[in-house]
Amino acid sequence: MTEEKTAAEQCDEACEANERIQEELKFSKIKVKPVKLTGEINIPDLNPNAMLGVKAQLLTAKEMLEHLGYPADGLIPNWKEVFLRKMDEMLKKYRSVKLFMDICVKCGACVDKCHYYLGTGDPLNMPVARAELMRKVYRRYFTLPGKLFGSRFVNGSDLTEELLVTWYTYFYQCSECRRCSVFCPYGIDTAEITMAAREILNSVGLVQKYLHEIIFKAQTAGNNLGMQQNAIINALEFVQDDLQEQLEMDNIRVPIDEEGAEVLFVTPSADFFASPHIESLYGYAKVFHQAGISWTMSTHASEGGNFGLFIHNYEHMKKINKRIWEAARDLKVKRVVGGECGHMWRVLCNYSNTMWGPFDYLDPKYKRPQHICELTNDLLNRGALKIDKSANEEFIVTMHDSCQVARAMEMGGMPNGQFEIPRAVIRGVCEKFVDMPEATIRERTFCCGAGQGLLGDDMMATRVKGAMPRMQAYHYAKQESGVNFVALICAICKAQLSKMFPAYGIAMEEVGGIHQLVGRAIVLGAKESV
Amino acid sequence: MINGIKFMIDMYVSGIVYAACLVFAAGFLCKIYFGYYKTPQPLKIPQTPQPTTLSGVIMRMAGDVLFFRSLAKGTTLLFIAGWVFHFTFLLMIIRHLRYFVHPVPGFLVALGNGALAIASLLMVALIILFVRRFMDKKVNYVSSFADYFVLLLIMGIVQSGIMLHYERFRPNVVEVKAFMLELMELKTPFLVMIMHPHHAPGNPLFITHLSLVALLLIYFPFSKLMHAGGYFFSPTRNMINNAREVRYINPWDKG
Ligand code: SF4
Ligand code: SF4
Ligand code: SF4
Repeated sequence: MTEEKTAAEQCDEACEANERIQEELKFSKIKVKPVKLTGEINIPDLNPNAMLGVKAQLLTAKEMLEHLGYPADGLIPNWKEVFLRKMDEMLKKYRSVKLFMDICVKCGACVDKCHYYLGTGDPLNMPVARAELMRKVYRRYFTLPGKLFGSRFVNGSDLTEELLVTWYTYFYQCSECRRCSVFCPYGIDTAEITMAAREILNSVGLVQKYLHEIIFKAQTAGNNLGMQQNAIINALEFVQDDLQEQLEMDNIRVPIDEEGAEVLFVTPSADFFASPHIESLYGYAKVFHQAGISWTMSTHASEGGNFGLFIHNYEHMKKINKRIWEAARDLKVKRVVGGECGHMWRVLCNYSNTMWGPFDYLDPKYKRPQHICELTNDLLNRGALKIDKSANEEFIVTMHDSCQVARAMEMGGMPNGQFEIPRAVIRGVCEKFVDMPEATIRERTFCCGAGQGLLGDDMMATRVKGAMPRMQAYHYAKQESGVNFVALICAICKAQLSKMFPAYGIAMEEVGGIHQLVGRAIVLGAKESV
Repeated sequence: MINGIKFMIDMYVSGIVYAACLVFAAGFLCKIYFGYYKTPQPLKIPQTPQPTTLSGVIMRMAGDVLFFRSLAKGTTLLFIAGWVFHFTFLLMIIRHLRYFVHPVPGFLVALGNGALAIASLLMVALIILFVRRFMDKKVNYVSSFADYFVLLLIMGIVQSGIMLHYERFRPNVVEVKAFMLELMELKTPFLVMIMHPHHAPGNPLFITHLSLVALLLIYFPFSKLMHAGGYFFSPTRNMINNAREVRYINPWDKG
């Protein structure tokens, strides 16, 4: 009798805890004003709790949560236990996480390197402070002095609901861009810590909506938009018709599921119809057409991106990645090429081989997946494409290095190829190219402000604030050199910047993909010899 | 009575030296082996600039360790103060080898001539680091007691060391060296265990200096000082960027 009562009471308490958390994390619309553009990136003063109110929406769709293997009813009753168990697992499975808990000396080299700190002044957006959120729990529960003498002694944190709220807030204000890690004397990569923290939050039932909805769609439908096969086919046919009409050519194609093509091409599904993404799709089609390379896209692997990367849940990422691996085999292609997408490049080229083994059924000449910029650059170098640069005459172009490319994976098999090859492509098709200030490009590039799961409309406040450094840098180049076009190689960057440009008072048309420029400059049908 | 105090001092000095060395060595090695080496790294996450060869990675890490290259990209003041601190600290440690080797090689004697200047520079660097940590609002925000504690501890070591240099406080150097050489003999720990320690120099400032060093060594494995060994295991720094050419196996997913 008494036992029953306690059980009921306990549930009450747990349900209440969940209700409190849901209330705390409730999304509320926050309007923020973009700063005035001056071309300078100033380091703001500390402004504690400036961004505490920004909460990413929680995922509540039970079917999705169950599919992903996360609790379906919000915060679970025994969350502390599960939290620590998951954290222990992270510490044992990821050397990065374990090591980075230990070796930070709080030197402060990273404090002013995060675009979210620069944009908001919120101290918890300083990379080291963000990582400290986890380190405090680590010291309290995973070190001997912490276990013996408690959190005060080791400057740790006990598990409380407040801590959950802070974690959820600030680990969803990190775009895992790894800029901080460039400057850290030990290469401490806050992104790794954020990924682990997100998975720990998932395990206790605090699952962010935008990011995990996409993981679900990518696993079930094969693309981030959740389009079914016929919808993809329709969309691509539409693109093809459009292209044929525009160019008045009926042999240029956007093939889908064509067995025996030479290239399997994967790209973010946003390229199928979002703007300006679609312009790059035209560009890819023209490159393949003009180079005479037969290619195909796949309905099974209709997505280049892989949001599984953004949380330390290896299985999610692996499952999504497998579709590409399978499609390549089923379609009997000779090589795999990836389109313009930041983190795709990292997963497809860096991790595919680890997760599913080499694409060893491909042509031995192309054992590894290629980037479309590698392919185009190669063709340009060989003179296989006829280019009329004057088609881009109106543009003075600059390039935003997408952080997941810039700081994760080389191109062309040489260090720094990820900077040189895309620039070479732009220079190959445009007359005027100018870089933004050195501290904002290449390995030091700033994130666009919406990467790695922060592109949802619910994140508008952080998106606007986080875009500040990039916007200032672009403004600077515009003032100094009259730049009027920023070329991108990332679908998220494109979506983010084409929204941020107007917000900061710059025309949306100044945002586009590199292959948009390539597409404009290619002279079709004018092939002499290859 | 005098003998009793003498005995306790001898026991204390010998004891802390052995305890400190033991805790440091065991703690450091355990952390490195079980904490870092044995923990798997599932994916390759090298950070730009990403060398594609082993020699490239070695060069990169050497640049980080010897010249603080990553740090140099950020704040100049921290880079200079940090580098001077580490470098002069290293020189001072090397200089102290003269108490442990016999005969003393020429370069150590030479180093001895510059010792005061080096130690002063070390102190200046420490003061800059301390003041910066305190004054810079952002760094202050992320600093906790432990961060100031280490700086103060090392300052204490350096200050007592500098003072030992002066006639007024100077211990009998011959005695110190003899004691150190005795401590390094294999049988000495056993003698200490059966309460027959060697005769230790009784200079109070020297004992303070030694105690602080012992404290630093004991604190080392449980603190952020582990960055010294940990750096070499940092996956963003020590991995070769060749995942496309050579398959990297995830240790817990060999499938
Ligand atoms: S730069 Fe690295 S070591 Fe320094 S505070 Fe930041 S994370 Fe810690
Ligand atoms: S990874 Fe990027 S977003 Fe995250 S803390 Fe570092 S700089 Fe900021
Ligand atoms: S969206 Fe682009 S800039 Fe932003 S994090 Fe991703 S790759 Fe980086």
